[in-house]
Amino acid sequence: MGLKLENVSKKFVGKQAVDNISFEVDKPGVFGLLGTNGAGKTTTIRMLLGIIKKDTGEITWNGKKVERKSVNFGYLPEERGVYPKTKIYDQLMYFAKLKGMNPKDADAAIKKWAKVLKVEEYIPMPAEKLSKGNQQKIQFMTAIIHDPELVVLDEPFSGLDPVNTEILKNVIIDLVKMGKYIIMSSHQMASIEEFCTDILILNKGKTVLKGNLKEIKEGYRANRLELSTDKNIDEYIKEFNMEIEFSKNNEYSIKIDSEEKAHQLLEKLVTDHIEVDKFEIEKPTLNDIFIEKVGE
Amino acid sequence: MRDLKTVIAFTIKDMAKRKSFIISTLIILALIVIGINIPNIMKAITGDNENAGETNILIVDSTNLFEGTLPSINQMNLGYNVQVANNEVSFEDIKGRIENKDIDQAMIIEQKEDGTYKLRYIVENMTQVAMVPEDLMNTINTLYTNLQISKLGLTPEQIASLSPNFEFTIEQTEEQEVSGNLFVIMMLSIVLFYAIYFCAYQVSSSITTEKTSKIMETLVTSTSPRTIVLGKTIGIGIVGLIQICVIVGVALISAKAFLDPELLNSVLDMSMMTPYLAIMTIVYFILGYFAYALLYALTGSTVSKPEDIQSANTPVAILAVVGFYLSYFTMMNPTSELNQFAAIFPISSPFCMPFRIMMGIASTSEIILSIVVLVITILIIAQVAIKIYSNAILNYGTKMTFKDIVKVYRDKNN
Repeated sequence: MGLKLENVSKKFVGKQAVDNISFEVDKPGVFGLLGTNGAGKTTTIRMLLGIIKKDTGEITWNGKKVERKSVNFGYLPEERGVYPKTKIYDQLMYFAKLKGMNPKDADAAIKKWAKVLKVEEYIPMPAEKLSKGNQQKIQFMTAIIHDPELVVLDEPFSGLDPVNTEILKNVIIDLVKMGKYIIMSSHQMASIEEFCTDILILNKGKTVLKGNLKEIKEGYRANRLELSTDKNIDEYIKEFNMEIEFSKNNEYSIKIDSEEKAHQLLEKLVTDHIEVDKFEIEKPTLNDIFIEKVGE
Repeated sequence: MRDLKTVIAFTIKDMAKRKSFIISTLIILALIVIGINIPNIMKAITGDNENAGETNILIVDSTNLFEGTLPSINQMNLGYNVQVANNEVSFEDIKGRIENKDIDQAMIIEQKEDGTYKLRYIVENMTQVAMVPEDLMNTINTLYTNLQISKLGLTPEQIASLSPNFEFTIEQTEEQEVSGNLFVIMMLSIVLFYAIYFCAYQVSSSITTEKTSKIMETLVTSTSPRTIVLGKTIGIGIVGLIQICVIVGVALISAKAFLDPELLNSVLDMSMMTPYLAIMTIVYFILGYFAYALLYALTGSTVSKPEDIQSANTPVAILAVVGFYLSYFTMMNPTSELNQFAAIFPISSPFCMPFRIMMGIASTSEIILSIVVLVITILIIAQVAIKIYSNAILNYGTKMTFKDIVKVYRDKNN
């Protein structure tokens, strides 16, 4: 059950935007859709929302073909937009009605989400009087107000301050707890790592990596050593033929070929009575994997 | 259907609540009421006495050429309040009396050396009165002629026979009778054109606003493009129709309340305004509005920036202007084949047919054919506009060219 894309392709004039991609979101949780600019993420999202038609392949939701008429997903587009002159309440009510809600339920949902997202005071105002961050929260409300089973969030945290980011993160966690399916597209790899169980990385319309994020990372060898000492150890690092990625105030981020070599370095430092405050061997981050897969 | 109602209701509410819409409507209404009241305002400024509006004129007849008959002009209701002086009055004296507002104008009757008479008409400023009023000249000529005739000792019958009382009538050889005041027809034609044009233009501007405010993606995932285009078009059309009805209603009520009935009847023959004509005018307004509004929906969806909207709408504006002028100029000769064509051709029929109906020269078959052609045209435009709109609204790049639009339309996958 859930969302399934099989061999989906889309070509625009002279450009293959999406080339034969397949993936499945078969249980509630957050699915990460990654890719560089122009990789085909938005086209994929638009196809699975039924906004544009695919050339080939099949998209199903709970076994039924996805068509514009039959789906009622929630969508926070990357291109943020509100009616500037219209009161927030009126536009939320408008979209809630279009999503099939009756005015009474819509009113209750507006009040509930306005409280959760801390935008109650802005509800009677026209949108143009709100900051960009608050407008974004209003658009987020538009995406989830009708309690959809599947929500697509395209760059949900861009432009938000840390306080509002935290509010939105908590809402996403609550949605997952409520059994919602979420597809999140973002360039903020930390957010993807924080929320996503499964990911798909697109490059020039093609799938370059997909699967369970934990399993993907486990498939990679450790490649970084985080080290903190009481004195400068540049000479030791050179001696072990390692490359410093970053260093500041005797804190080092070092590229490593093997865990064994890192332990040998630690042994040497201890032998020479250098105090080691931090020694962490790390596997590649999603950011590293992303750059490896799509970096030219 | 539920979504369509929601889009219509939102569009109506959104448009009617806009400050710019409310203010512009109030300004138009105020201008209409003020415009109609100009004669009353002028009257109030010049004073509300019995002679208000009359010109005080001093006629200096020092030779008594008219033998005391000049005061009879006051009984002729020509708008002159005549004072007569049978003594010499100098130009300087007259100037002083005009400056003191004692009189407005003067006329000095002088005998020339050859025995003929010269009438000097004296006004304060020749930019206001550039020539001697024709009615005054005719009256004075007639007064003198009658004075001389009366001295011939003719019988009343003989005198009466000297003043012919011919009745002039006009008839036509063509069987089709044309009625109606051409001035009213042309004025209403202009009103209908602007009503259709500006209401339809709002659709384009509304769609571009949704594109530029980036709300389009949320909107198209909430309902179908067909519902958005139709809902928006119907909503704006309803607001436009109500606005026009209010404007026309206020104009008619103000005209009836404030204008002199004689003046009103001479300009606006209300006997022409039958319920049938009113219904047909509304039908053509609705059909004309739909044809142009859907074309504007198409052009509005092809631009992403407000500054591009003008150039994108130019082809539709040209089409509307051509349609209007085709209708307007052929109305000079309403029985011509070109006017018949303009009443059926869909770009001009909304501006032309209501006035052929008003003039009583449109046959039922002609009206049915005109409506059928217009409806078919609207259906074709709607089909094309909705298809282009569905795909162009998510295009945030540069303005689409005609080639791009054709490509989008032909693409079977869209």
